[in-house]
Amino acid sequence: MKLRYGLLWPALVLTGFSLLCPAATKKNPGTPPVYVITNDDTIAGNSASFYAASTGQQGPTLTLQNSLTLTGRGIGGGFFGSSRVIIDPAGQCAYASSAGTNNINAIDIQSQQAMGTFAGFQRDRSTTNGIGMAMNGSYLYAGYTQSNTIVTFAVMPGCQLSLLDSTAVSGLSGGFVGGMAITGNMLVVAYGDGSIESFNIANGAPTPNNDEQNSTGFAQAYFPESVDITSDGHFAIFGDAAIGTTVEVSDLSSGKLAPTVQYGLGTPANAIIGNNSATVWLSPDETLLYIGNSQGGSVMAAFFNRTTGKVTSGCYSQVLSGFFNPWAYVGSLATRDTTGTGGVLYVAEFGSSIGIVEVQSDGSSCTLQEAPTSPISDDTSDGLLSIQVYPRRPF
Amino acid sequence: MRAIFRFVLLSSLLGASLIVSAQTICPLRPSPGSPVENPLDLYSQNGTLSLDLLLQNQKENDGYMHYCYIYMYQGQQIEAPTLRLNPGDRLLLNLTDNIQAPYDRYGAARKPPMESMAGMKGAHHPASPDDPCSGQQMMLGSTNIHFHGMNISPVCHQDDVINTIIQSGDPAFQYNIQVPSNDPPGMFWYHPHVHGNTTTQVEGGAAGAIIIEGDMQGTHGLPERVLVIRQQFSNPDSWIPGPNELTVNFQPAIYPQAPSPVINVQNGQPEFWRLVNATTQAFLSLQIQFGTTPQQLQLLAIDGVPLQTPTYQTTLSVPPAGRVEFIMPGLPTGQSGTFLTTGFDTGTVGNPNPPQILGTIVGSPTAKLPRSAPPATKAPTEPRRFAGLATQIPTAIRNLYFSEQTIGSNGPTQYFITVKGQQPKVFHMDDPPAIVTNTGAVEDWTVENHAGEAHAFHIHQIHFLVLEIDGVPVQSSDLQDTITIPAWDGHSAYHSVKLRMDFRDPNIAGTFVYHCHILDHEDGGMMAKIQVNPSN
Repeated sequence: MKLRYGLLWPALVLTGFSLLCPAATKKNPGTPPVYVITNDDTIAGNSASFYAASTGQQGPTLTLQNSLTLTGRGIGGGFFGSSRVIIDPAGQCAYASSAGTNNINAIDIQSQQAMGTFAGFQRDRSTTNGIGMAMNGSYLYAGYTQSNTIVTFAVMPGCQLSLLDSTAVSGLSGGFVGGMAITGNMLVVAYGDGSIESFNIANGAPTPNNDEQNSTGFAQAYFPESVDITSDGHFAIFGDAAIGTTVEVSDLSSGKLAPTVQYGLGTPANAIIGNNSATVWLSPDETLLYIGNSQGGSVMAAFFNRTTGKVTSGCYSQVLSGFFNPWAYVGSLATRDTTGTGGVLYVAEFGSSIGIVEVQSDGSSCTLQEAPTSPISDDTSDGLLSIQVYPRRPF
Repeated sequence: MRAIFRFVLLSSLLGASLIVSAQTICPLRPSPGSPVENPLDLYSQNGTLSLDLLLQNQKENDGYMHYCYIYMYQGQQIEAPTLRLNPGDRLLLNLTDNIQAPYDRYGAARKPPMESMAGMKGAHHPASPDDPCSGQQMMLGSTNIHFHGMNISPVCHQDDVINTIIQSGDPAFQYNIQVPSNDPPGMFWYHPHVHGNTTTQVEGGAAGAIIIEGDMQGTHGLPERVLVIRQQFSNPDSWIPGPNELTVNFQPAIYPQAPSPVINVQNGQPEFWRLVNATTQAFLSLQIQFGTTPQQLQLLAIDGVPLQTPTYQTTLSVPPAGRVEFIMPGLPTGQSGTFLTTGFDTGTVGNPNPPQILGTIVGSPTAKLPRSAPPATKAPTEPRRFAGLATQIPTAIRNLYFSEQTIGSNGPTQYFITVKGQQPKVFHMDDPPAIVTNTGAVEDWTVENHAGEAHAFHIHQIHFLVLEIDGVPVQSSDLQDTITIPAWDGHSAYHSVKLRMDFRDPNIAGTFVYHCHILDHEDGGMMAKIQVNPSN
């Protein structure tokens, strides 16, 4: 394990103290604590870590509250666009995948306790590139990257899952299930080979909407990896593995994926060519689209028009601290606040740490400034790629 | 010592009995801890070296897919002999592709999505049936040969890797090559180079040494040791690279999991070592230690070209595909020695290149030594290849860079080598040339590395002069055909090399390739074409 002795005792003391005195790590009703929840993806034995958000003299920071041992093993890496940890719409349960053992771990957020382990069918395998997930109030969908199957679980009380179905999928060029997002009865999937597809999930198991297609960026070998969807379900926004920063937007109003509109958003002055834009995350007010430059070590905020779906360039952060030493890739993104721009952007850093970036925007210009306390080392992780924030963004 | 001898004898007898009792497709390889022997030498006679090679494959018990170049010698299968020629000699090599049940290292269920984009398989040029020179469809069993470092013509039946595709079951395909009469003496190598199949076949062991004989300063009479460092992929069920075991003349160097290869030397006797890094992805940092003291190695040649002034170094850095030729000092009586690579930092996202003992050097007064280096042959009367390159005025300046694009920490990754101003693109065999020039040209290329892992730049057909490293002039006029460009650290200026390319030889007119010689990268698209038109 990578947990350093210097952190071990404080962590144990805090954990024990929190068990004895629950109020010590929980705020009063009405001001719920804010947690960044990680899927540590640890190979020897997986864990999920809870970091409490706070603001000190040096600005926003995170403090490790609990590293919760999970049943199963991680794989320490995989696709950038897959969400390995998600929170249910009710905000009660988190789910973290353990790809090394092909299962999903349920976590009660309030008690920070493991609530069970759930596997797909025998054929559902995930050890190559992980298990990404998406869910609504009724179903949880798990993308198994090795078997290339989407497993459907029914969501049950007490964070329990009930296995329903396994659906084989494939990208048009043989791609594997990567980023997934849900709006209403539509599940949108990016396959990492340039193709995207949507499914009808009204009855639980995904049924193809017969709209599988290559994205517009495919012609340039720009491949959608992650996907986010606007709160009204009008637009799906894909982050591309691309030269520079490129996102693609598909209109969903017909009930199917429309051909994507490609937006090239430039390259930060100090970034490598091929800096990649693998992860996307809409701000709570949907005015900003945060983009993780996976191979450039920076993040971007682009302006998003939720009426037209148009994306325009905004601002880049500097290359985040620790890029290439010791961490190597930008993973998923999440915002601290549930309103406005989100205030603070958290960045999963593969290596492993959590970057903290302060956001300022007046609607026409913006800044992304890394906090002095950033990054916060995630010592239990073998390769952090996925985080979520509790309370979750409203959509 | 006696115990070791018994073990070796027993191993030899056991190996021989296995050869007799079991018809193997590929020969058995030396067991860990056995003496390192030179590969079989094949010499040209009356100006010609003619041989038949069979490339076939066999899945071993541990899952490793063994690819073997078979030469039949006295009724025995010999794997990957050393080809020895003189300047001006002709090589007639008849290659038969007998690859069976070709190994898809990515597995049917695990093909990386970018595979078809990378041009690894599928349609190629419009095929002319049964013509290996027409760029037939690439299959998993397709092969060809690249004569790495040799300054010969990029046409079919010589050193073409773009249109020459030999299929399993085809009749023997003849390579007919004349070594330039003004070629310098030195070490080269041969290996398959079908785009998409190169890693698998080379990692399976399909690689051998070529030596152009000639005067190598100070080596006459020294025992000449030929070492081919290869790499074998020990986990074929994973498409994530590694772990890759290094081997020394096919013997695993995996100490402490198994005894190291044994290099028997005579005490006090210096030796002439000729080493090719035929690994698929290992950057070697070679040392010879007596006790724990790294020895000064007299470096005589790099990449098959003698240095103008031999140098003494304790560590020899050899990128994948590179060669070094050097004198190992005599092992003092009473000491033992260690041959090792000290490890190399490939960068944050590079595959680990850990330290590894490659051999234990054991001295005795009566050790059986390899054949001695021959006396110098007659020096060529015409100027050597690349003569005067340092003082040439470049006719063109170009800037290129390596970069990568991946959809996850485990890949699949798109690999690029791009001329600045052009769109980065995964190489496909149908691509037009990225660079067009003429014979007679001398060009200065600056190659940067924009990726978080090291790359090894290599160009076919020619050698280049290293002018600058990271903008700092290099005070030598030595020639190479492969060079390391370290990983970018994410913040500092990109690492770069400035190279003087010599296209003056009219014999190299044609279209050939330059690429990263980490073979996963090459197969993954980090390659491009250059077309050299004949000058009027």
